[in-house]
Amino acid sequence: MTQYAQTQTTVSEYSELSILQRTDKRDIAYVVYGIVILLMVVCAYLMAIFGWLPHDPEEMQLELMLAGPGAPGHLLGTDFMGRDTLPRLILVIKAYFVPGLMYIAVAILLGGIFGILSGYYGNKYETVVTYITNIIDSFPRLILMLLVVAAFKPDIYYIMMVLGVTNAPLVSQLIKGKISMLRQKNFVESAIALGIPDARIIFKHILWFNCRSYLIIQATLGMGEAILLESALSYLGFGVQEPTPSWGNMVQQGANYLLQGQLWSSTIPAMAIMFTVLGFYLLGDGLNNMLEGKRQS
Amino acid sequence: MMVSRSAKPVVLYLTRELYVTFFLLIGVSLVVFAVLYSAPGDPLAAVFGGQVLSDAQREEMMRNLGISNTWYGQYWSWLVKLFNGDFGTSLRSGQPVLGEVTKLAKNTFYLTFGAMFFSLMIALPIAIYLAKRGTDRLGWVLMMFAYTTSAVPLFWSAYIVIYIYTRFFNTLPIGLATGESMNFTQMMLPVFMLGLGSGIISETVRFLRDEISRVFSEDYVRTARAKGVSVWKHALTEALIIPVSEMIASKIPFVIGGAIIVEQIFNWPGIGRMAWQAAQDRDYPVIMCITLVTALIVRLTSLLQKTLYVIVNPRASQETKTS
Amino acid sequence: MNRLKLATFIFIAATVNAVNAEQDRVGGTLGYGEYGRPATIDPITSNDMIALRLTELIFNGLVGINEKQEIVPDLAEKWEVDKEGKNYTFYLRKNAKWHPKGADEPQPFTAEDVVFTFKIMAHPKTITPLKVRYEFIDTVEKIDNYTVKFVLKRPILNALAKFTFKIIPKHGPNNTNYLTREDPFVQRPIGTGPYMLKEVTANQEVVLIANPNYFGAKANIAQFVAKPFADQNIMMQALTFNAIDMIVTVNPRNLPELQGDKRFVLQPYNALSYAFFGYNVRNPMLNDARVRKAFTLAINRDEMLKSFFNGQGTVISGPFAPGSWAYNLDVKPQPFDKAKAAELLKEAGFQAGSDGILEKGGKKLALTLKVPIEKENEAVKRVVLAFKNYLKSVGADVQVSFMEWQAWKESIFAQHDFDIIFASWVFDDSADISSLFHSAEIGAWKNNFGGYTSPEVDGLIVESKLTLDHEKRRTIYRKLHEVLADEAPYTFLWTLTNYSAYHKKVRHVSIHPYKFFPYASSWFISGDESKI
Repeated sequence: MTQYAQTQTTVSEYSELSILQRTDKRDIAYVVYGIVILLMVVCAYLMAIFGWLPHDPEEMQLELMLAGPGAPGHLLGTDFMGRDTLPRLILVIKAYFVPGLMYIAVAILLGGIFGILSGYYGNKYETVVTYITNIIDSFPRLILMLLVVAAFKPDIYYIMMVLGVTNAPLVSQLIKGKISMLRQKNFVESAIALGIPDARIIFKHILWFNCRSYLIIQATLGMGEAILLESALSYLGFGVQEPTPSWGNMVQQGANYLLQGQLWSSTIPAMAIMFTVLGFYLLGDGLNNMLEGKRQS
Repeated sequence: MMVSRSAKPVVLYLTRELYVTFFLLIGVSLVVFAVLYSAPGDPLAAVFGGQVLSDAQREEMMRNLGISNTWYGQYWSWLVKLFNGDFGTSLRSGQPVLGEVTKLAKNTFYLTFGAMFFSLMIALPIAIYLAKRGTDRLGWVLMMFAYTTSAVPLFWSAYIVIYIYTRFFNTLPIGLATGESMNFTQMMLPVFMLGLGSGIISETVRFLRDEISRVFSEDYVRTARAKGVSVWKHALTEALIIPVSEMIASKIPFVIGGAIIVEQIFNWPGIGRMAWQAAQDRDYPVIMCITLVTALIVRLTSLLQKTLYVIVNPRASQETKTS
Repeated sequence: MNRLKLATFIFIAATVNAVNAEQDRVGGTLGYGEYGRPATIDPITSNDMIALRLTELIFNGLVGINEKQEIVPDLAEKWEVDKEGKNYTFYLRKNAKWHPKGADEPQPFTAEDVVFTFKIMAHPKTITPLKVRYEFIDTVEKIDNYTVKFVLKRPILNALAKFTFKIIPKHGPNNTNYLTREDPFVQRPIGTGPYMLKEVTANQEVVLIANPNYFGAKANIAQFVAKPFADQNIMMQALTFNAIDMIVTVNPRNLPELQGDKRFVLQPYNALSYAFFGYNVRNPMLNDARVRKAFTLAINRDEMLKSFFNGQGTVISGPFAPGSWAYNLDVKPQPFDKAKAAELLKEAGFQAGSDGILEKGGKKLALTLKVPIEKENEAVKRVVLAFKNYLKSVGADVQVSFMEWQAWKESIFAQHDFDIIFASWVFDDSADISSLFHSAEIGAWKNNFGGYTSPEVDGLIVESKLTLDHEKRRTIYRKLHEVLADEAPYTFLWTLTNYSAYHKKVRHVSIHPYKFFPYASSWFISGDESKI
């Protein structure tokens, strides 16, 4: 994830124009693309929940394994068990959805606590928080995740939990930066002087009014990262396990046949990953420019 | 206060940071140990592999191997040995861990920093172009290229590259192909692949683009440029050296992570592959050593970056506390 | 082992008449790919197949096994067994020399080394998987420099075959009492074998060179290099692009590709192993033999074998590998029969519930299948997923749960917390199945993990242990096979045919099903590839 926030210098609170008028059209396009992807994700989630799938995802056709797109009855081909690829691509969303939300919640909760402790309450906690966040930052993420997953269980919840914890330092840094910026403007001091309770300053004025767009952007970028890391773990054998489909294990299982020249069964899920992650990147970019009112040249 | 400010800030800063790094590494080792200890399953399985033992026999074995029963006993004995410069021996191979790890760490070091360099070589021009010209047609293509490389699973793109390479050149681009004498492509392909696919190009482009355009839009730079005064030196420091070094420091852990995958695919003898094997075997001395070594690399890189920052901008030594 | 008449070893058909002089055969390097690298390379502490194969090249045992599965002299020239079958006296060869240790002169092999090897193996501080295997030996005694006597605790059948264990030198390990993995010897072993360790390179390749002082026929190929791979797809590519000359076991998914490639020879060898689904009879639903039999009938083993393993294997009906003398060919595997399976389940009292899943007394026929994770577990994945699907079609709901290997082992063997497992047994060279099905073997870390009890089976096992007569034992085993096939504590699946693939320039290759390399010294590399 990128540290967008630190680069912000101007806050466009005084702009007269509406948000759509003052943003670049390109950013709107990014956001629209990102939202389309998000909508597809939500659709897929609903389809998976209610079982509106184009094909039975469990049905195996052992005589038709690793078929390319357009094979009779299989729009996107079949996997290494002769199962239809399309409904499995859709089912993945269901497997990712709740753990993904949990990941974001953990990152924001933990990062929020760290950020507020060190930014708002200051010196007392700062050393401890810095120490903890530095420990987390010292781990290569994939190694930590491999360690946890190999030690406990290759479960998507564990994976997302580790991701949430490892992303907390970044969120904490963003919030802390924002608070210190607000302090410089004597925003916090005046709020305290006005007798507004701490909790309200923190939740309403700091987190909600000033940090929400950062957090949304971070969450967007983080989802992309989560998908890619899960696929890396799948390659190492510790990703989401069958029979639950994940884009990572679908690519991995297909990739076993890639060097023999059977390209399709890994390429289709890889493309799904690519378009989705790209969607998250562009959405993050667009939102950043739109919400933060920032535009270069 | 006056003394410390005028005394060499870099030296002061470094001493303090090294001190902190020491305690950080202890913390890192504790975290790893906690994960390993709380894991279900037999921690000594790697040693006893294939043998079915009764509880009494197991106790006896543990006593013979000098392994304590309690977690603090185990951690403490590990720590004491560590301070005597002994990282222990691998449960799997019986070899001294430190020797094995350092032997392979240099391969990983070469791979990661090579990859880092390579991704900067790609990302920098794109970022500069985007910052100067905005997202015009070429800029858009460049940006999409940078984003796309970071949006596909690394192992899949590595397979695709190998597939294409073997079809074109009819040899396999992996180190083992010719043993000791690897040719240039065989050496460079894993590095390129990791540089391209570890997911850092997109973020580097994004970050540098924003930084550069921010510096160039600052008032004094604009004024100076309008007056025709050269500000390139300042702009170079502000817009390139600091953000690039920041980027390197913060992305090193990602590249090391990606190295696990690249090492597996290209048969590159490095600590990433070793870590994977050790995680499966629960070879805890090896895991501890590898995480400490990687954490040390990460910390030292960020230390280097901060030192650079302090040198470039001496006032900063007062501001950057321990973070 | 000479009674292993049924063993179906198929040796390379290529005739070697094109080769004129012995001289042509000597030299060359054979690089072979291994998936992973060995932990240690000595015969005592190692417990992986990669190391086992290497020790086969570096060391010798007292006796060896030839290609016809007969016991032949190796380090012992001849031997005597007393009438009781408890005293084994071995007369050692006098011309065997150890590989040089460092720059030292090669030392001669003597009876001291044999005694030393056994002592070190039996020492409580030595951690070795061999200990259990050799607990039947009571004492070893050196008679003179070239004679040793082993005294067994009790006479056992086919004991001679067990004296194939590898002998290590007394001057090898630093610690002469016991051997741990910290000893430098385990990484730099010296033996008496046709090959000696040259080095382990920075790339972690194990390089072996021919031993010029070997007592037997000198090895043809000058150098063996074991190259470790971390990705089987890449290993396969390494073979096709000539980076290696041989793969020990080809992944079934790559067989079609290699079958069409004229540059390579695919050589089958039967492993003495079989795959099975094992049931936990502690679960009352699985305690009913009819249910287990229904499951066996409900899965199409032929189809799985054909689709997932390219048809390379044999469907089995009982608890022995079909290559073994104990296998009862009269018991035929049950053919796939879904209707009969449904009938059996109905007979056992199961009724279809509202969601199509069978129920009995309000309890659903829902079972957990636990499988360990390996990175290269694709074939396993396929089999268990297909199993789940087959059983779904007869109304049983199987939840597949992939677990980390250690956790899996613990939950199967210690906690017995499972309903079904998918696994394989690999036999070394005996066909002893007593530990798998005898009721005394139920308990933590014992092999009868499913808790299967049958007085009849217990009786047969005890009877077979008491007899020293091979024919009698064979009759008992055939009966045992029949009973177990009917009781179905496991669903016996198949024995797979392993394939080794190598470049056709490597000639005269014969393979041992388990140890792989015993005959490697007569392999050779032909300089002229056109002569095939």
